[in-house]
Amino acid sequence: MGKAVPPPLDRGTRHACLLAAGACALPMLVQLPPWLAVALALAFALAWFSAKPWPAAWRLLLTLLVGGLVLAAFEFRIGRDTSCAALVAMLMLKPFETHTRRDAQSLLGFSLFAPFAAFLQDQGPLTLGLALPAVALSVLAWSRLSQGRAVPLLPELRRMAVALGLALPLTLAGFWLFPRLSTPLWGLPENSVGRMGLGDRMTPNEWLDALVDDSPALRARFLGDTPPRAQMYWRGPVLMHFDGEAWTRDIGAGNLPAPALEPLGRTFRYEVMFEPTERRDLVALDLPLGAPESASLNSELTAVNAEPVNNLVRYTGVSSPQARFTGELTPWQRRQALALPPGRDPRTVALAQAWRAEGADAAALTARFLAMLRRDFKYTISAPPVGRDATDDFLFSTRLGFCQHFSSAYAVFMRAAGIPTRVVTGYVGGHYNRYGAYWLLKHKDAHAWDEVWIEGRGWVRVDPTAAIAPDNILDTLDDLQARQRAGQAGGADAVFGPMFDAGDFMRRQWNELVLGFDALRQQELLRPIGIDRADAWQLVLAFGIGAGLALAITLWVLLHQHRDRSHPVLRAWRALVRRLARAGYPKARHEPPLAYARRVSAAHPDAGAALFPVSQRYSDWRYAATTLTEEQQAELARQLRRFRIPSRSRS
Amino acid sequence: MAVARDGVERFGDAAARFAFVRPKRPEPLPVQIGRRRIYVLPTGFGLFLGAMLATMLVGGLNYNNNPALLLVFLLAGLANNSLVQAHLLLSGIRLRSLHADPVFAGEPLPLKLRFDAAGSRDRPGLELLCEGEHAEFSLPAGEEPEVVLAIPTHRRGWLVPGRMRLSTLRPYGFARAWSWLRPDIALLVYPAPELGAPPLPASVGDGDSPRSRAHGEQPHHLRDYRAGDMPRQIAWKASARADKLLVREYESAVARDLLLDWHALPELAHEPRIRRLARWVLEAERSGSRYGLRLPGLELPGGRGPEHRHACLRALALLPEAGAGRG
Repeated sequence: MGKAVPPPLDRGTRHACLLAAGACALPMLVQLPPWLAVALALAFALAWFSAKPWPAAWRLLLTLLVGGLVLAAFEFRIGRDTSCAALVAMLMLKPFETHTRRDAQSLLGFSLFAPFAAFLQDQGPLTLGLALPAVALSVLAWSRLSQGRAVPLLPELRRMAVALGLALPLTLAGFWLFPRLSTPLWGLPENSVGRMGLGDRMTPNEWLDALVDDSPALRARFLGDTPPRAQMYWRGPVLMHFDGEAWTRDIGAGNLPAPALEPLGRTFRYEVMFEPTERRDLVALDLPLGAPESASLNSELTAVNAEPVNNLVRYTGVSSPQARFTGELTPWQRRQALALPPGRDPRTVALAQAWRAEGADAAALTARFLAMLRRDFKYTISAPPVGRDATDDFLFSTRLGFCQHFSSAYAVFMRAAGIPTRVVTGYVGGHYNRYGAYWLLKHKDAHAWDEVWIEGRGWVRVDPTAAIAPDNILDTLDDLQARQRAGQAGGADAVFGPMFDAGDFMRRQWNELVLGFDALRQQELLRPIGIDRADAWQLVLAFGIGAGLALAITLWVLLHQHRDRSHPVLRAWRALVRRLARAGYPKARHEPPLAYARRVSAAHPDAGAALFPVSQRYSDWRYAATTLTEEQQAELARQLRRFRIPSRSRS
Repeated sequence: MAVARDGVERFGDAAARFAFVRPKRPEPLPVQIGRRRIYVLPTGFGLFLGAMLATMLVGGLNYNNNPALLLVFLLAGLANNSLVQAHLLLSGIRLRSLHADPVFAGEPLPLKLRFDAAGSRDRPGLELLCEGEHAEFSLPAGEEPEVVLAIPTHRRGWLVPGRMRLSTLRPYGFARAWSWLRPDIALLVYPAPELGAPPLPASVGDGDSPRSRAHGEQPHHLRDYRAGDMPRQIAWKASARADKLLVREYESAVARDLLLDWHALPELAHEPRIRRLARWVLEAERSGSRYGLRLPGLELPGGRGPEHRHACLRALALLPEAGAGRG
């Protein structure tokens, strides 16, 4: 038998499959660099119109070209993002060889990986929102492919919606009850290009993209007392080393135990939902008295998670803003906290040493420095560039900057004066959401401040940026965004503010309910029935029961969804015939209603008196084109329904 | 059109041999497809998709990626429901009747099957497969479509159609649901008439009476049209007057019937002889003369018309195989 040439796909089916593949690729596509996304979309459009297969050499050439583009977009580094981009690129090229049924099936199968890959990269509302139509279009494409011919769209849409609805019980059972892994079997491959978030570096002279990143970084809810807003410093990585241009972390900090703290004043308990950053650093309210559940505190009091935060994490913490350090600085730590790059910023160093020579201690120096800032410095996020002696330029000529400049300059100044100082990064402030009673901190709320070592008290927080006089705040991020918005909406914050709050609250609930679900919470799921920590077998059992229930619901709906949609009178008549059949008078298929009624009446005279007239009316309505008003039809249906065959007397 | 079968489908078809596969023996019409005789297996596409979902499930569990898991379980739910839907599509269908007009061996035999179904569900996308031939049809609620499936014939005699497979790939092509039909029925296949056979033998016997020709003579009477009558026999004018089709019946004045005698052809082997006689039956019927058929152990007296022709061809079709009946 010769190899049969498979018949080509018809145009409509091909386009349905391609549309589904395109929709599946979209959540991933929007995460790519825009020019790459456009290039891939163009390739896809070209394939859409190429009804005939291209020569193999051309296809190879195109594949190589697109592969090169993908690699170039990620600077020839291989990471998870590169792989995901390569996957979506292959998916966009696959339509070039989609011409038979089999091709279409493999296209549809592989496309499902695209939303999956998108979720590995991002779990935000946009990705989720784009994945839903992808699934819907995939369902339509499967259906179209299995029918192999044009079908009316509206019933198809209805069937698709019903199918998705019917899949929900099983989906939920699987989602909540399918046993989760408490520890991953393997780690998530890293991205080649880093993401937003607090970094390992701070370069005062560089523009920070995070400053305009409006996406949420974390949501915090206080359990019990809420600290004043001015105390809400969420502590992240500590930057210890300065090379004249950038502040970087001390890599050894993780190996040392956390310093001892003595709580003072009030303590606050809180719960944080931390958006994925791909890094291991979490934030904790300054100063943390303990590590979050899945993390540990390093010697710089930064909470470091056990593994990179690839998914939303939830943790609780206890902090005491006024706690004091009870330990001492080791000589090594002191040396580190005093180190400055040699030969840089001579004027700053000279000034610091001059003030120090005047006998000022750390507190006095700080007060004097902050007074100077308050008097002469202005805050702006569009800081002018500075030269090689960045601190000198900032302190003595530009006098314009934002938190990076202020914290860096203060730290350099204090170190020059012989006071151990370090830079702390984190988030400050935030936006209170009235609906959910939580604080939302965005990436643009990232901040940098300092800590100075004061003998007897330990590290003490100093935020030089906060010293800027309100009049001198020229240009904040909010101003910038307000200006951008003014062009579009005309300062409608009053209207959109509450809407935004409500939207973010919904997002938080979604995070809480879905994104933050894990093995730990699954184990607690059976708490309502008295199982505190569910074992694996209990979960399997629960999953079995849940899936069984879901299946039963689905089956029930499937069996009952084909309701009789015919006219009520017709339905009433059929019900009547069924009743009569049960009573022993089955209606023959060919028997007209009146003949049937006559036959039943003859066999059962008691019934006939009532049955015959009602059958006559039904027959007239159905066959003799007697028009009845709505009420008359309803009445007829009622009479038909009410008819019961009198039980035969046992004579 | 032959459709390439994938491995799972071949497995399902091969498994029909096993004794536990229902129906276990041929069954009388009507055949009701109940839920216990419906089999569902994934197609190659379904297996492929299942592998994709399994991969995504493991990945989603490992990374505890909740949206990915939602996606996986949603798709798995859809796929699972599609199996149930495929099952429900077949469940409740009934094969009401099956018949076929006899054909000559070698010609395709058009099986005419009539299905109906209980309930108010539409049942689209059904496929019937028998002896390598397949037909696609759908069964809308309340209708009883007739499905014609031309199956090949090779030998004269009773043809017992093999298992028929009623299947569906709906709704998504992930799985094939099927049920075997084994209606207890045998269909007649006439022997293949000989090609290039010599002309009809002259009337055996005294030969003094001229063979009368049917056509051109005065019609003896008109009778109702019966299936198989030749169009040229129809009395169109009379039919128009009577409002039904009438056919001229010619009284043949033939004195003696043409006898087609098995024993007069000793030079031919068993099967060729049957084929020669089959050809002659057709020729004789076409010529309009009365003819009889003498076979070993069986004699059909002279007659004419479709029924007689059928009787003769049937007798020929059912002659025992060579060597079986000789003693």
